[in-house]
Amino acid sequence: MSDTHAPAFRRAVVALNGGPSDARIVRLVADHARPIKAELIAIHVVEIDWTLPLDADIAGRSEEVQRVLDTAESVAEDYKMTLEPVLLQARDVGAAIVDEAIERDADLLVVGLPFRKRFGGEFAIGRTIPYILQNAPCTVWVVRDPITEEPS
Amino acid sequence: MIGGRRPLRGRKPADRRVRVERPHAPFFRYMGPGTLVAKPAANVALTPTGRFLARVRAVVFGRPLSNEEEIGERLSKTKALAIFSSDAISSSAYATEEILRVLLLAGAGAMLLSIQVAIAITVLLAVVSVSYRQVCRAYPNGGGAYVVARTNLAPLFGLIAAASLLIDYVMTVAVSTAAAIAQIQSVIPAAYDVRIEIAFVSISLITIANLRGLRESGNIFAVPTYLFVGLALSIVAIGLVNIIGGTVVPIAPEPDAVQFPDPLESLGILLVLKAFAGGSVALTGVEAIANGVPAFRPPESKNAANTMTAMAVLLGILFVGLTLFAVQYGLQPTEAGGASIVALAARTAFGDGSVLFVTFAASTALILFLAANTSFNAFPRLAAILAEDGYMPRQFSFRGDRLAYSWGIVLLAAVAFGLLWAFGGDTHALIPLYSVGVFLCFTLSQAGMVRHWLKVREPGWRWRLTVNAIGGVLTAVVLGIVVFEKFADGAYLVVILVPLLVGMMLFIKGQYARSARELTVTPSVIVRPPHREERVIVPIPGLNRAVVQAINVGRSIDEDVRAVYITADPASAAQVRADFERQVPGVPLVVVESPYRALVGPLLAYLDVLDAAWPPDKESPITFVVIPEYVARHWWERILYNQAAKRLRTVLLGRPHTVVVAVPYRREDAALFEGLLGGERDTDKPAAPDGSARPG
Repeated sequence: MSDTHAPAFRRAVVALNGGPSDARIVRLVADHARPIKAELIAIHVVEIDWTLPLDADIAGRSEEVQRVLDTAESVAEDYKMTLEPVLLQARDVGAAIVDEAIERDADLLVVGLPFRKRFGGEFAIGRTIPYILQNAPCTVWVVRDPITEEPS
Repeated sequence: MIGGRRPLRGRKPADRRVRVERPHAPFFRYMGPGTLVAKPAANVALTPTGRFLARVRAVVFGRPLSNEEEIGERLSKTKALAIFSSDAISSSAYATEEILRVLLLAGAGAMLLSIQVAIAITVLLAVVSVSYRQVCRAYPNGGGAYVVARTNLAPLFGLIAAASLLIDYVMTVAVSTAAAIAQIQSVIPAAYDVRIEIAFVSISLITIANLRGLRESGNIFAVPTYLFVGLALSIVAIGLVNIIGGTVVPIAPEPDAVQFPDPLESLGILLVLKAFAGGSVALTGVEAIANGVPAFRPPESKNAANTMTAMAVLLGILFVGLTLFAVQYGLQPTEAGGASIVALAARTAFGDGSVLFVTFAASTALILFLAANTSFNAFPRLAAILAEDGYMPRQFSFRGDRLAYSWGIVLLAAVAFGLLWAFGGDTHALIPLYSVGVFLCFTLSQAGMVRHWLKVREPGWRWRLTVNAIGGVLTAVVLGIVVFEKFADGAYLVVILVPLLVGMMLFIKGQYARSARELTVTPSVIVRPPHREERVIVPIPGLNRAVVQAINVGRSIDEDVRAVYITADPASAAQVRADFERQVPGVPLVVVESPYRALVGPLLAYLDVLDAAWPPDKESPITFVVIPEYVARHWWERILYNQAAKRLRTVLLGRPHTVVVAVPYRREDAALFEGLLGGERDTDKPAAPDGSARPG
């Protein structure tokens, strides 16, 4: 495929972490999805620790959690795109994202890599992104935040 | 909320996940802590009739637009020129004729003076437009003369300017529509007989186009405006080429040309001033851009100011050019129903019956109809600003589904059509009412700007002040001329209407101020929990499920609940009492016999008696009147039920210390009702099954 062609995908799953990079990756994917009329699914996973039942009423009660998906939906609408928001509760975020992407037959999975400004600034790759990179059956885009100049 | 779904399995046994349902998502979006934003689904009508009406509205007016889409509705300079300048530019189609009609009273030679008069008016146009450029820059929120005069002179002067403008905008719609019909008559004389009907259709179409929103009306109206401008400039160019080439051959007067009077009037200063006053209608609509600055794309002020310049240049060229053409070719105005001067000019330039002539006639009629559109943009905006300031009813500041100020648009259409109908669709009968308001607001605006520059004294203020001062003096002089010359012809109506409108606006402001004072919560006040005693009265029509539901609502408000049964039939009262005391223990029933069969009066009297019986040293209690109501499923059922409840609500609304609570009983509540009765249901004596909740 030539570099000048838009990357082809039918259905993209965008994993949101509730951080500032969410809007950026939704914009990026929406921008690519619009001309090829691809479907967009946004997933936000709330991790439930083992002290609580998996179906504990946590995510549904949290305005902040709902706002993550609502904001993504709003950003996609700016691009005249419809985004299907999916809110999950799981023990492991990476596994939930990959399993949901498989179930929805996604051919692109997009995750953001946030830049933490504390302690001089570093990319907190954590364990979710490596898990996705190792287990997702489809193409994975990892969108890195820009490095900000002034660590706070 | 968890949707009650079983956990979904992952690829590994431990990788289970649960999808969480988001019941708010179809209707709302969380956009901040504690902040929900409604989505279109939240506005969807619940009833089939409501949904049908919504679909009809969507077809006629377009889908509803959200506030975020407002920026997309803003106008480019090209569209704004078409929308805001169609009034000013179109006046070149009849301003020349207004001059000629006056000057011909002094004979053919006097008509030559029309060029000088047109040039003088164009100079005035230049001064006014330069002044309004400054208004655009100084007041980017729009409002034009009203805001300038209110801010820099006094609120009263602002209101005078606003009243003048509102009258002017109504007049613009009426005059331009009448002029457009006159233009159609130039080609189709039979149109004269149906002029009012044409006016109605035209105003209705422009109203609908404007209710569809700013951008769409810009799309609709841009083509005819630029078509007129292009063809009118072609006429001017053809005329100039012929004049320079010396090939002008004067045209013989039309058979229905207005005859020179015998004897001729002398060409004195008064006649020239009258011609000047008549031609000054060319300046109407110039201020519209300054009123609508926020409608422009950013940078709003700069774009508005540049559009103002483009409009003034175009209008100046067309006005002087067409006047020069008319004079050089000896065009004479015709009697009512005949060809207009601009139609004669087109016929001369393009040839009678030519495609260009017919196209120009059509585009002239269209732009004259569309001149009304300028008012449809400016009037609602001004009304909205006045409403925000409390001088007009608040609904004028609300935007409709398409972000248009629907109330202002509809009011303008109604008043303008009424005026047109009252004056029989005659342009010349309407024009005397026209210019007074325009020049009054020009003058106030210029005076306000002089004060503005004296206050701010920013770089370049001296020359700006000079321009506004010259403009103010010139427009004041023209205002004097217009009032003097047109007073008897109908301008006196404007002189009466302006104070009336100002009075009305002051009254509305006073009314809002009074209610605001009454509703104000002083910042120092800390609201404590209620301390007044409460009691509940439930007027009942007997015993039924709706009544039981209302009594239970009453019990949740306070323990002091009593049912009141008002009846004209003592025998039924005994039966109701027996049933009530057995089935609703613990709630006293008061039976009020009403031998005159009245319901409302005895209930009010009973409430008064309760008040009178309250210990005078205690603060009056709050009386909750809980009214059981049966919810109708169909529109026709509404006629059958709740009439007495409605009357009760109406009369109790203004009663002091009284709160009216309507408790609706729906047929769907029947299943829930079983729970209300609990385990004490007496199967021998069931509750009244008819479901009627009518009290009395």
